[in-house]
Order: sequence, then C-alpha cells, then structure tokens
Amino acid sequence: MSSQEKKYMPEISQKEVDELRNQVKTASQRIMAENIEKMKKTAKNRPKAMEYFDEVADLFGKRPKEIQAAKESGKKVIGYTCLFAPIEMILAADAIPVRVNSGWYDTSKLGDRVVPVEVCPVIRSTIGAKMIGLSPYLELSDVLISVLTCDGMTKLGEILSDYKPVWSMPIPRVKDSAQSLRFWREELVTMKGQIEALTGNKITGKKLKSAIEQTQKATKAFRRLQDLRKGNPVIMGRDAMLVNQTYMWDDITRWTEKTEALCEELEEKVRRKEWACSLDAPRVMVTGTPMIWPDNWKLPTLVEEGTPQGVLVADELCSGERLLYDPVGVDEWSMDDMLNAIGERYLMASTCPCFTSKDGNEDRINWMLNKVKEWNIQGVIYYVVRGCMSYAMEYTRIKKVLDKISMPVYYLDTEYTREDVGQMKTRVEAFLEMLTARIDL
Amino acid sequence: MGTQTVKVVILKDGKVVARGKGFSGFDPANSAKQAMEEALKAAKLKPSDLSHVTATGANMSLAPKADSTISMMGADAKAGVFLFPKARTIIDVGAEEARAVRCDERGLMAEFVVNERCAAGAGAFIEAMARALEVKLEEMGPLSLKAERASPINASCVIFGESDVVTLIHRQESKPEIARAVFDAMADRISSMVHRLGVNPDVALLGGVAKDVGFVASLKRKLGLDILIPEFPEFAGALGAALIAAGKAERSHK
Repeated sequence: MSSQEKKYMPEISQKEVDELRNQVKTASQRIMAENIEKMKKTAKNRPKAMEYFDEVADLFGKRPKEIQAAKESGKKVIGYTCLFAPIEMILAADAIPVRVNSGWYDTSKLGDRVVPVEVCPVIRSTIGAKMIGLSPYLELSDVLISVLTCDGMTKLGEILSDYKPVWSMPIPRVKDSAQSLRFWREELVTMKGQIEALTGNKITGKKLKSAIEQTQKATKAFRRLQDLRKGNPVIMGRDAMLVNQTYMWDDITRWTEKTEALCEELEEKVRRKEWACSLDAPRVMVTGTPMIWPDNWKLPTLVEEGTPQGVLVADELCSGERLLYDPVGVDEWSMDDMLNAIGERYLMASTCPCFTSKDGNEDRINWMLNKVKEWNIQGVIYYVVRGCMSYAMEYTRIKKVLDKISMPVYYLDTEYTREDVGQMKTRVEAFLEMLTARIDL
Repeated sequence: MGTQTVKVVILKDGKVVARGKGFSGFDPANSAKQAMEEALKAAKLKPSDLSHVTATGANMSLAPKADSTISMMGADAKAGVFLFPKARTIIDVGAEEARAVRCDERGLMAEFVVNERCAAGAGAFIEAMARALEVKLEEMGPLSLKAERASPINASCVIFGESDVVTLIHRQESKPEIARAVFDAMADRISSMVHRLGVNPDVALLGGVAKDVGFVASLKRKLGLDILIPEFPEFAGALGAALIAAGKAERSHK
C-alpha cells in the first residue's frame, strides 16, 4: 500500500472540503456566540472572571493562533482522544497537549460517509471534522494519542491514522490486578520514549516533577471550583462546565490562574449571598456520554433554561469533572515513583465504563454516591448518545444503586442533532417538574 | 393539547362538569379555543368563571389563556391516581406517543419512560396498519379479536411495520390475524417500557388508544394483568391538568 492510499477516508475534492468547512465553521461560530449569550442571560450575577473563559471557548479564536505561533517557534502539539494520555509527560517534553474529540453536530453527518450511523456520534463527528479540516486543535496536532478505551475510540485512531501519525495506547480493562499495572506502566514508558523522540526533548526527573506540580496546581484550582458548587448555587452549571472544558485546550498555567481568580470572585459572592439562580431550582447531576462544546451543549441548556429551571451542580463526565479531579500523588520524587504515580492517576482513578472487575465498575458507583451526598443532588440525568454502548449498558447497574438511596434518575437518549430538542425538552422538564414536586413536600 | 386532538375538561367542586374536543389540525390554538367554548357552553359557564386554566400535551405552549402548564407525565400521574386511587403504574397511549409513569406510595410521580423517537408504539401505528389492511380504524380492534393465532411483525418502525403487513397479506394471512399482530407488536413495546419501571398490580391505561378493544386485549395478555380503564380515557390528560388547576386555584384562595 502506498503511503498516500487511505485505509478508510474517502477522497474529497479540495473545493468540497473548503465549502463544507466554511459552512460548518460559520454555523459553529454563530452557535458558540448564541450559547455564550444564553449562558450570560440565564446566570444571575454572572462572575466577571467568566469573560476569559467565554473568550478561550472560541474554537477559532486566539488560542489556536497562540498554539500556531508556538509551533512556528519549534514546539510540538500532541492531540489525544481519551483522558488516559499522560499530560504531565507531554508538558515535561515542552510540548502542548490538546484534546481533539468533536462536539460538532454537522460533522457527524459527514462522518456517516465513512462509518454507519449506528456508530457513536462523538466518533462520527470527530471523523467528519477531520475530513474537512474543521477542528483547529486536531489540525495543529503533530501526532495523536489514541487511547483504546471503547470500541469507537479504538477504531477512531485507526481511521485518523489516514492523516496523522497515531500512537495507540491500549489500556487494561481490569484495573486492580498486578499484571494490569505492569502492562500500563510499560505503556507509559513506551509513551515517554515516543514523546521524547518526537520533541527531541528528554523528559528528565526535574522536568517531570515540574510538570506534575503544574497539573497538581490545576487540580487544586479545579477542586476549589467544584467545592464551591456544593452549597447554594453561586455559579450556573453551564458556566462551570465551560471552565472545565477549556482545560482541554488552554495553556494550563494560565487556566489555573484564571480559575483561581474565578473562585476568588465566587467566594466573595457566597459572602454577599449573590446566588446564580433561585434556591428552589432542583440540583441536578449529569452522567454518561461526554458532552462536548459547542453543539453538544443541548442537555445542560435544557436543564438550566427549563420550566421549571434546574441547576447542574455536579457531573460524572470525562468531558467534565473527570478531566482533572484526581491529582498525581507522588511520595518521593524519583523517576520511578513519578511514573508509578502518573500510572495510578490515569488508570486507577478513572471511572470510565470501559473498565470492569468482579464487582463491576465500583469506582464509578462510589464516585456517584459521594457526589449525591456531598453535593446535595436531587436528581440524576443519565445521558447517552445512540451507539454509546458502555454507558448504555452500565445504566441498569447505576439505576439499581441510585434506586436504593431513592435518588430519582432519568435515562435520556439522544443523537448529535438539533432536531430532537423539542422531544428532549418535554422529558427534561417533566423530570425537573417531578423533582420540584418532591422537594415541595 | 394533543398531537391529534385537543381536549378540554372543566371541573367544579372536584367533579367533571363538561368536556370539549376538537382536531388539533394546523391551528391547535384555535382548535383549543373552540373546544373550550364548547365545554363552557355545555357547563353553562362564562370564561371569567374559570378560576385557573392549566394546559398539558405536546402543544401546551400554544394553549390560549393558560395560567400554568403541567408535563404530560405529570398530568397522567395526577389523573391516573385520581381515577384509580390504588393505581401506581399509569400507561398513556396517545396518537404519537406512549408513556408509562410509576407513582410512589403518596401517588406522586417517581419515574417515567417515553417511547423513543418513533410512533410505532402509539395510535398512529394502528392508523397506518389499518390503511395497509384497507379496513377502518375502528374496525381494527374487533377484527383482531377474531384471530385464532398471531403472526409476528416488526414494531420498531411504522414504515417497516407497514411493509411487514404487506408481506403477510401476500402470504394470505387473514386480516384478523394481521390486525392482532399489529396490536401484539405495540403491546410488546409498551409492556417492555412498563417492565423497565417495575409493574404494580394496579395498572391504569389512559389515552385515546385505551378505547381500542384489540390493543387492550393484547396489552392484558402481555402484562398478564387486568387493566384499569376509565370511562373517557382520551380526556385523562386534560383531567390531570384540570386537577392541577383546581389545586392551584384552591391554594390561591387560601
């Protein structure tokens, strides 16, 4: 097979690519602006510090230009699809990490040209985005780390390798065994070597330590923000979700500073009792398939603009709180210890349903039970896009657990489309109404 | 404010005093206005006599002069428990949607499921199948009761279901058997929805499709239970909304 011959991707004329990209980009810019406007309108006393995140949320704005400039000065950009990519190693090699999963609805239709509609739309949309070169972060990536989590992600890396070098990173499906940890550690060592070879920078103990400290600081800021959501709502869920998501592409040190500044402002609001919405709004947690900016903002919008209005105070999403909740915990700063700590942080802490054990995905259950209690959750929305098999299947287990503590949960299935908003609204509002009626008593 | 028809129920001192009905058509707001006028006339009341109006249904946002709204599931729960105080599983099958609601011991909605993205579990499916069989809609039920056995058809989609029916016609299956297959397929879908919620022995069936004897027979067979059906099942959603309105009116008087 010649190097030009594509394994999956169809040949599309440059003219069509340009036309499609311009179309989708224009629509996307409008949608991003609309989403931000709606978020501004919904939140009472919206913090001024959100302005920074509104700006960095612009997928075609300043941040891609900044990365482009860094690339021109010799930096490498490493894209990743799932959260298991060791960010600290990327940072230690002086490269830039960006997550490249797509939240565009329109590009999922383009992905249909390559894979059937039964495939998860997050995957189809990422394929479609690559077909037309839409995503600045995907385009800027010199290489992609494809973590083999669910079936969709496994094949996605294979498909994207038609365009970019792809480093596959298999994960063991059972976490708590000695051979799994050995295997995973080997993967990390291999990844370290690959990153060093690409960047030409050796990941020294000193550099790795400083990178770990950098993400530890980010986690601290991140946890401070999530802790602020435990009490009366001082920030709307969509705003917090936007802050969390921008971590996937922003400069990490700057993101940390801005998040700390936001928290400071929010703490002041708590002192002044300036709440983001009515204290009667039911407190909702979402879990399930990742929700990715900008189009896949449908459910958070329906909850927070619903009649009655709800407020998202927590999530169990790999596009949300799972991004940064767990710090890399190092005891001694030896290379060996740091590698172990990174390994544990990415593998052991993950609540992704791609894992199993003799007790099932216990870590996810414990995470959710803790959230329900500590964040005073009044209802859970279990969100699944069609084709997302692991989340769909694990629902039954999660529901049993939540039933036991009388926690209402609603299974909401949808697609990467705007057309079912009406139907979804009916269901989400009925659920919120049900929660309100229960709170009233 | 249903997808096919608009229904009005007027309550006075906890009793139904009038009902009104009309096709939703292209102008549901106007149909609602007419149905309301009809009901007011039957009750010998003026619009100003209404202390509170609550709307429900797919087009509830279009209801003229509604003081409040309630979700369809909330209205089903309210009406189901009002009509049958022991009922805790309430099924509503309308023209384009089927829903099942589970209520807690206090009679409050605790959980619900809705048929997903397709009318194959709802009234429109029977209509399409009646067309394929070239029988009148109201004949489908009685016809199906004459069947001696059932032939399975695809109920995941109206379109596929219709082509399955055509296949059965070509195989020269009898019309009663095909009609029964249609109801069995619907009942299959709805009973799995109900099973997801957990079945309580007192199951109420609301919505226009509850008037279809064929569907009721199939659903009883699938659930292995008797089913509670009110006298005017198609007005149950409107009744639920009226009960909510009565509650609101009462609270505002206090």
